[in-house]
Order: sequence, then C-alpha cells, then structure tokens
Amino acid sequence: MTRNNRIVLLIILVIFAFTAWIVFPFSGNRLGRNGMRLGLDLVGGVHLVYQAQLSDNYTNADVSAALDRAVLTIQKRIDTYGVTEPIIQKLGADRILVQLPGFTDIEAAKKLVEQTGYLDFREVEKNSTGALVYLKDYFAQPSLQFIDTAETGNRIFVSSVNDNSGKSVDKTVAYLTNDNGVIKLTDGAGNPADNTTLAQYANTPSWIPSRGTDGKQLTGALLSDAQAIMDSSTAVSKPAINIKWNSEGSTIFDQIAARLHNPAGTGGAYSLAYALGIFLDNNLLSAPQMTSASYGGTGTISGSFTLAEAQDMANLLKSGALPIQLAKPPLYQEKVSATLGKEFISMALKAAFIGTLMVMLFMIAYYRLPGLLASLALIFYGTLSLTIFKLIPVTLSLAGLGGFIASLGMAVDANVLIFERMKEELRLGRTLGAAVEAGFHRAWSAIRDSNLTTVLACVILYWLGSTAVASTAVKGFALTLAIGVLISMFTAITVTRTFLRLFVGTSLADKTALFSVGGGKKK
Amino acid sequence: MNIVGKRFWYFLASGVLILLGIISLSTFGLKSAIEFSSGSILSVTLDTPVEYSQFKQEITQLGYKDAIVQSTAAGEFLIRTQQLSEEQKASLESDLTAKFGTLSESQFYSVSSLVASETTRNAAIAVGVALIGILIYVTIAFRKMPNAFRLGASSVIALFHDVFVTTGLFSLFGHIFGWELNLMFITGILTIIGYSINNTIVVFDRIRENTIRGVSANFETIVNNSVVETIGRSMNTSITVMIVTLALILFVGASIQSFAITLFIGNIVGTFDSVFVAPGLLVVWDKHEWGRFIGRGLKPAEAKAK
Repeated sequence: MTRNNRIVLLIILVIFAFTAWIVFPFSGNRLGRNGMRLGLDLVGGVHLVYQAQLSDNYTNADVSAALDRAVLTIQKRIDTYGVTEPIIQKLGADRILVQLPGFTDIEAAKKLVEQTGYLDFREVEKNSTGALVYLKDYFAQPSLQFIDTAETGNRIFVSSVNDNSGKSVDKTVAYLTNDNGVIKLTDGAGNPADNTTLAQYANTPSWIPSRGTDGKQLTGALLSDAQAIMDSSTAVSKPAINIKWNSEGSTIFDQIAARLHNPAGTGGAYSLAYALGIFLDNNLLSAPQMTSASYGGTGTISGSFTLAEAQDMANLLKSGALPIQLAKPPLYQEKVSATLGKEFISMALKAAFIGTLMVMLFMIAYYRLPGLLASLALIFYGTLSLTIFKLIPVTLSLAGLGGFIASLGMAVDANVLIFERMKEELRLGRTLGAAVEAGFHRAWSAIRDSNLTTVLACVILYWLGSTAVASTAVKGFALTLAIGVLISMFTAITVTRTFLRLFVGTSLADKTALFSVGGGKKK
Repeated sequence: MNIVGKRFWYFLASGVLILLGIISLSTFGLKSAIEFSSGSILSVTLDTPVEYSQFKQEITQLGYKDAIVQSTAAGEFLIRTQQLSEEQKASLESDLTAKFGTLSESQFYSVSSLVASETTRNAAIAVGVALIGILIYVTIAFRKMPNAFRLGASSVIALFHDVFVTTGLFSLFGHIFGWELNLMFITGILTIIGYSINNTIVVFDRIRENTIRGVSANFETIVNNSVVETIGRSMNTSITVMIVTLALILFVGASIQSFAITLFIGNIVGTFDSVFVAPGLLVVWDKHEWGRFIGRGLKPAEAKAK
C-alpha cells in the first residue's frame, strides 16, 4: 500500500512538473509558455457567418460539395493575408463560418470572403449579317428573344456613367437572361425592367460569353496563375494583372483571339468588334482590343484600380470563384478590438488568482490539513487543465476562461464530499487510514452522479453552441467546463487521496485537530 | 434539527420567491440582448471626446430615434440600433466623423433576425432538454430505490424552481442595473442546471444509503437525517462556487457578467432547493400530501396545525 502510494505520488509529481513547465511562465498576454489558443474576444478579430444562396434545383449532396469547395476557396484567399489560426468551416447545412483572429478590418474581411470572384470573358453580340447588337435592337423586337440564337448565355449591357467624383466609369446597367425559356430584361441590380426604364441605355452594346470552338466558355476557372504588376507598356505605368492560362484556357483563348483579332494589328483604330470584355462578377474591368491572333497562354488585365486593388484581385483570381453566392449582409458579424481582449485576460487572471486563493483559504480554515492538501490538488488541477486546453487545443474565449474559473470553485466539490465523509468516520472512532479509505469509497457514488450531470449539461451546451450561429463562445465554455469536471474527478480523488495516505501511520495521524474533528460539532 | 418537518415553511418561502419572480417578469420583463432580438451594436471612440447628450442628440438627428446610446468611457460610445446595412453603417460613421472629427470603430456586432429567432429557439430547446435529461439521469441513477421516478421528478421540480427564481431575480436586478438577457445568461442557467443538481444528488445519495442501512422505518426521518447529515457539505460547496463567481463579477464583468451573476444567484437558490425543497417534495409525495400542498400550501401554519 505505502509503496504503491509512493509510486503514485511520484507519477503525480512528474505530471505536475510537466504541466508547470507548459503553463509557466505566463508569457505576455497569451497565457503560458508558448501561448494558449485564444478566442476572438481575447485577441480581437472578425467573426462572420454567411448564408449560402442556393437555387432550388440543388440536391443536398450538391450543396454540401459546393460548400466544401467554397470553404477551400475562402481559405486560399485568407491564407495570403497571414492571419494566424483562421477558422473557416461549414456551419449546419448551408452556412459558412469565418473567424479571423487578429484581423480587425471587418469591411475588408467581408469583401475578401463574400466576393464571388467570377471572372469571365465576353465579346459583343453580332446579328446574322455580322453587325454589332445594341440594347436598342432588343427594344425593336416585337417580343424578346435572343438575336444570336446560337448563344443562350446571358447578355450584359455596360454603360459609361459618371461616379460621385465625376469620373467616368463602366457600370453594368442591364441584363438579358433566359429564365426557363422566357427571355427577361432586368436592370443592373437585377430588378425587372422594360424599354422605358432603360431607354437612356439604348446604345449600350450587348456582351455575350466568349467561347472556344468546342463551346466551352472562357472563365477564371481556366487560369493557372495571376500576379499584380506595374504595367509599363503605357505612357504612365499603371497597376495591372498578369494572367497565365492553363493549357485548355490557352487553347480557347487563342481560338477566341483568332476570331476577334483586328487585322490592322496594334495600329488599328479601337473597335468594339475586336474587343474582348473582361468581366469580374458581371462588372466590366476592361475591354482591350485583340491585336494578335495568338497570345501563347498569357495576358494582361488592366483597368482603373490601384496596386493594392490589383493585388487583391490577383489573389481573388488565383483562389478561384466561389461555387455559390453568399447572401449579403452576413447573418452574423462581430468585430472585437484587440485592446479590449488584453484587458480581459489580465482581469480574468486576477479573478482566477484571487478566486483560487480565497477557495484555498476557505478549505484550509474549514478542513485544516486535508484542506491544505485539497488546495495543493487544486493548484495541480489548474495547471493540468490549462495544459490539456493547450494540448488539445481548446480555443479559450472569455466565456471559456469564465468557465475555467468557475470550475476552480467546483473542483473542490468532491474534496468537500470526501472530507465530510472522513470526518463522520473519524468521529465514529476509526483510525485515519480507515477513515480515508471509507471516505473516498463511500463518497464515490455521489461524486460520480453529480459530476456526470454537469457533463450532461455541458454536452447540451456544446450542442447549443454549435447550432446557434452567434455562440461559438458557448461551445468553448462547454468544452472547458466538461474537461474541468473530468479532470477534477481525478485531482480531487486520486491526488488528494495520495497526499492523505502519506500521513496514515505517522504521528500526525493521531492529532485529530489537524483533521478538524475536535473542532467539529458532534451531532 | 428538523428541516423536513418544516417543509411547508420552506415551500412558503419559495412560493414568495416565485411570486416575486412572476411580478418582476410581468412588470419589468427581460431586456433581450441582440443575440435574441436582432440588431447591431457599434462602438466608436472619438479622438476628441464630447458630452453624452451632444452625441445622443446627433444620433437622434441622424434618424436613429430608437437607438440606445451608452457612454462606456470618455469619448467612447456604444450605439445599439436595428440591424444596420453596410451602407447605413458607412454613412452613420461618416456623418459622425463630419460632426465630431476622427473616430475609430472598436467593436461592431450585428445579428440578423433569422439568426436571432433561431438562437432563441435553440436556447429554449437546450434548457428543456437539459431538464428532461436530468430527470432521466436521476431516475436511472437511483433506479434501485423504490419510486426512483419520484426522486427524478422532485429534483427536476427543484431545478425548474431554481431556473425560474434565478430568472425572476435576474429580471428584478436587471431592471435596476440594466442587465441584458444574452447567451451568457443561458449558459449560466445551463451550468446551474448541471451543477446545482449536485447538491440534490448528494442528499438523495444519502437517502439511498440510509434507506439501505434501514436507519428508520419512517421515510420522513430518513430524509431529514440525510438532509442534516449533508447540509455542511452542501453549504461548503456552494460557498466555494460563490467565492469564484464573486471574483468573476468583481474582477472580470464585461461580456461574462450575466453568466457570473446568473451562476451566483442560481448557486444560492439551487442550494436552498436541494436542502429545503427537493427532499421536502419527496416526503410530500411519499405521504400523499399533494392535496394539502396544493390546496393549502400557501397557508402552512394552518396546514401544520392539522
């Protein structure tokens, strides 16, 4: 017995040394030697939840696959920003959760995530005689139908308008789409429109998808690379994006170039007939002339953007388009500044230290020597819990820290049960050894049942935390509390018992005052 | 000590607490946080601090008449409105900048109504499932006892009472101190459900042990002895939890304040329940006193006299 106990004690001390090594010293504001994984509310950052917009003809499997691809796409976009430990995951059947610790520009984050990034190439529609088609040609029809009947994709109408600062910009003003066999005209925002509302845009050209000879549309999906550059081919060098096609894209691009290219080469006058429109998310970036019949798989996208915007766009093109649309605004959005988090950590530490100290004082005052041993076990509980949080790892939010601190008060629960039981046994005149064993043995069923109900509540909380969009903090709390309860069953029982057994058979064992029996009231 | 014998006095006390809860909930209600009611919270820090009234007036003039504005520190304001769109938020910030100079956005928080109603529903389900789960667990854990279901039911009634009284008191104090019912409150309630049942289980465990040992033929005596034997333990464990929750309230507060407060109140009420209410209910059930309990429960002196 004694020998076994020494071995257990040794194991406990080794584990304690290990946990202390992991947890101490507290480095900076990250808790522990190499830092804990801290929640958004502690390090600051952005938390977004998006609802995917899906058409009805998606099956569940399609949705799931599309969401998986969307998560990967968003991950690629985020990766280039160097965010540490971002969380991007599916939430429920049709939602996506994005958490970016330390990234506090919420508008930039939203743009990064929600932009579809669908790049496609278009040319101006031609009628049967080869003349360019404009919106007014559609107005002239008795009933709406596509003029180039071979092309069934949607038409985009782009007009030059003046923005707020008076600068002329290209704006998508109308769409012509085939909605289950009915041709519909909508305005730039997607609302139904007719000849009168769109009369001012009558002279805008009709952009149709550019396709290779096999009918495959040229889109961003066929790109192999995109890099932002300063384009010095113009008089004033300006930001642009160099793109590189994969082999299929390269073939299709050259097929289109061969069809559209201006026979006059670089010297020819600009004509829409030879223009290739580059569209990102249905907005025209630029419409360069095709001056050559072959490009060898590379190209340059220019437009009116800054170098930073060009870099963002290159990143977007490289990561590919989102396979689904994300509804705007997000269902849930939260931004926490990092400065608040630092205060929270120091406040939580203060609460933990003072709370633990008071609990220890109480236990020692009430239970004397066993109380002191329980206090040592409590310190061990604290370092062991933090070590396990670190190793799993559990993301510690403020709520999780709160749960951990609350569990410091709960962890001695089993000790209290056992010590009360021991006191009863000692009063009945048993020896310390017998009282210790009986106390632990007979308190066990109550400890087990009461702790398991707490774990049950944690399981339910975890469910609540993983379904409710707004409550990732609740999930962290449930996890820390459940781990805490399970660990406390170990520390309060095994550790305290091992310590107590050290005193069995020593001269101290007879000093009942040390075990608070003399002071206790007999019933 | 005869605790169980005075059960109707304790039922009266808990009746008073319940009544207080009902009155407070029907007069003051509970102020829902945006997790449950949807909306946006924007907190901004002005480089040059202005008076609260001036700031509030500007917000009203910008068309946010229903907005709640709080001053959290010098030059720092928290604006709570209905859900803001991107454009609304941008124009609000630029209008404020135009009026008060440079500002920085320290926090932004926005919940759509879809998510809010979902969260409300899930929180209600979670509390319901937790109570049923405890009922089943306690019934199974004490299956060897005669009438194990009674133990389960009594503990759940005590828990329900705990949840209700805690919510009532939260509403009462919340009205005075401006606390909000948020997810951390629900978290606190669920923690209470899981933790305050511990005391009840310890008492029931002792009742089980004393029944098996055949301490007395009288069930009421067994229950009373069990309560008296475990009362020291019940008090001590709630004191240690009280200490740490108090530390949380005093030193942390912030976003987990409602959690700490709920845990603090619920812990005290829960201890009262497991010592004075749940064992009493067992005896009432055993003695088929339900008629007396319901009919004259609020007149215990009379009931006791008979």
